[in-house]
Amino acid sequence: MNSVAVSLATATCALLGTTTTSPVSAQEEPAWEFNTALLYYGESDDRVQDISLNVLAQRNFVDDRILTLGLAVDSLTGATPNGATPFDGPQTFTSPSGLQVWTSPAGEIPLDDSFLDTRYAITANWQQPFGRLNTINAGLSASNEFDYLHLGANLKLSHDLNKRNTTVSIALAVARDELTPIGGIPVPLSPMPDVGDLSNRTPDKSKDILDVVLGVTQVINRNLLVQLNYSFSDASGYLNDPYRIIGIADPVSGDPVVRTPTPGIPGPSHEYLFESRPAERTKHVLYGQAKYYMDGKVLNGSYRYMTDDWDIDSHTVDLRYRWPLGDSRYLEPHLRFYTQTHAEFYRPSIDGGSALPSYASADYRLGEFDAITVGLKYGWETASGNEWSARLEFYTVDGTVPANLLVGDQAGRKIYPDFDAIIAQFSYRFGK
Amino acid sequence: MRCKVVRSAAICVAAVVVSGCSTMGVEAWERDVLAMDEMQLVSDPVEIAIDDHIYFSKEASSGGRGFGGGGCGCN
Amino acid sequence: MGSPCEILTKAADESLARELVDVVASEAWRIEDKFSRYLPGNVVARINNSNGEAIEVDDETANLLEFAASLFDMSGGRFDITSGVLRKAWVFDGSDRIPDDKLVQSILENVGWRKVAWERPSLVLRPGMQIDFGGIGKEYAVDKAAGLVIEKSATPTLLNFGGDVIATGSPAESNGWQVGIEASETAAGTAQRVIRLSQGALATSGDARRFILKDGVRYGHILDPTTGWPLKRAPRSVTVAADTCTEAGMLATLAMLNGAGAEEFLQAQNIQFWCQR
Repeated sequence: MNSVAVSLATATCALLGTTTTSPVSAQEEPAWEFNTALLYYGESDDRVQDISLNVLAQRNFVDDRILTLGLAVDSLTGATPNGATPFDGPQTFTSPSGLQVWTSPAGEIPLDDSFLDTRYAITANWQQPFGRLNTINAGLSASNEFDYLHLGANLKLSHDLNKRNTTVSIALAVARDELTPIGGIPVPLSPMPDVGDLSNRTPDKSKDILDVVLGVTQVINRNLLVQLNYSFSDASGYLNDPYRIIGIADPVSGDPVVRTPTPGIPGPSHEYLFESRPAERTKHVLYGQAKYYMDGKVLNGSYRYMTDDWDIDSHTVDLRYRWPLGDSRYLEPHLRFYTQTHAEFYRPSIDGGSALPSYASADYRLGEFDAITVGLKYGWETASGNEWSARLEFYTVDGTVPANLLVGDQAGRKIYPDFDAIIAQFSYRFGK
Repeated sequence: MRCKVVRSAAICVAAVVVSGCSTMGVEAWERDVLAMDEMQLVSDPVEIAIDDHIYFSKEASSGGRGFGGGGCGCN
Repeated sequence: MGSPCEILTKAADESLARELVDVVASEAWRIEDKFSRYLPGNVVARINNSNGEAIEVDDETANLLEFAASLFDMSGGRFDITSGVLRKAWVFDGSDRIPDDKLVQSILENVGWRKVAWERPSLVLRPGMQIDFGGIGKEYAVDKAAGLVIEKSATPTLLNFGGDVIATGSPAESNGWQVGIEASETAAGTAQRVIRLSQGALATSGDARRFILKDGVRYGHILDPTTGWPLKRAPRSVTVAADTCTEAGMLATLAMLNGAGAEEFLQAQNIQFWCQR
């Protein structure tokens, strides 16, 4: 076919009287937008390692209706502290399945490495306007691991005011999680038994979670946006970690109390009890975020305060600074500070000379610690409008055990399982 | 007791913010910067979800921004 | 122009923005006043009322007539500025009234660019014939107005005259203006097409609103001047991206005039296009 376009270009030139026009540059926005990321998370001392793939897909429909689907697959390996405190002798434990024993070397924080797990998680969210100034968001979430199932639903209503400079929202989420740990759920504060003894197990358990979030977003000026949220969260049911134990310590030496073994049957070397947490936890969170644009650069800062009825208080400060390099690249340093107080029932070990408490947990995640994350992200946009980015971060956790929680001669020992971790992520955003 | 104080403080702050905010803001034609991807409150939802999940597994706090995709057996 | 016209500009100060709006509005009205077939006393009215007499036209009108002549040749006679009289037979109001073929054929006697004696600067139109710049005028106005904007300022500006769009540059913080293309009614629920235009023009030719529906057959409003009847199996809408709005608009129209062969035609032109059936 002859090129009509070329003849037309000539004819148009003659009509308009122009000899040069800039070439057209037009590109269709894709129907689907994909945001994918590959993550590596690795802790020091052969502890937890996670490799995960995350995909988020978004499709825009007519009239501002949006469908978002998410999938995350995590492969977890590595060892995790089981709650026992280290001392200068070896310690033997029955494995979570109850089928064998394993021994932790002297002087080391006992790490149980029997966990290999793959977790699948999906989310779906539908957003749509109703009325001129309102938006409704409805979503579902589900995740599955070999010993854990989560199902959840959420709903959010937002309303715009003040020429859309203010948005107020209320959101509600409910979830039911079911635990089916290997070997069954141990009776709280029951002793860790010998191999083959599953007498202290009860049927699988579940927990219910309710979250309510009230939020206000406000445009301050052309370059500044702030958000303030208040959240209330209530979890009830089985809140324990079925695999964690807490050791009984001699009131004078602070060493684990030796256990009289059953003749001929392998079992734990010392006295360990399965942990016990309250059956309810109520949290309040206050969160504030500001995003400030300064001549091409964006400063993103947030602060979060959490307090709950387990006596834990925490503060989180998160800062990100996006610094563009030219038209299509950017650098984003990241700094995060976190600090928390310990749960009321947290203690590294139980004093063998006192009465048993109602609740006790040696889970270091309920302890008192500070954490710092330092990271850098580099992003670049391709000619077709897709974006690659890579980030590398270092996360370090440093805990302390208050003197009143130590038993006997434990002071001076390295009890809290501090660790460092590397977070490496590679992302790609594209449209189709 | 502490929870009650926090709750009232939060409600007070929110009320002040909402009422005092009727004079703050921009006109519709001044939203060029606010419309940019990098100025959205959550400009990288996947990275936020990943971070939220990491810190939920390693710390005793979670949420604040909203709620994530769901729990896991890691806490 | 028969449609709302708007200008979006990222000007640094209000006075410049107002100047640009004035320049664009004045040019749009000037072209409309001069070439609209609805207004008495302008050059088109004089031609259409000439009753066979020769009319001498100015340079701008001559250029448009030359352009129309080239398009007639390029389209194999399907683009014809004398085909406007067929509107006496066809009313595209969504009803099911189709005209009697005898009426169409009798009107067709007064259609045909070949019957026009055009030799610059003189035009002779047979009595009963009419010319109509409706198919070219809007896109032409967009390009002329854009030219004036560029002369005045390098500020990135978008002109939108009822769906015929041109960008003289892209606003600094985004890569392009976001132009939404309306989905036709049967496509409700599908994603709306959005095109990022950083430079150049977009024009859409379509029959989304003006049509006749009879016995389940949809007759679009674009008529084939050689038969007097609407084109068979033309797409619902065609959007074309080109350096100028005139080119974009003409390519979109020529594509529609190719009926079932619209996509094939557009593919052969090596341009960006979006077709909806």
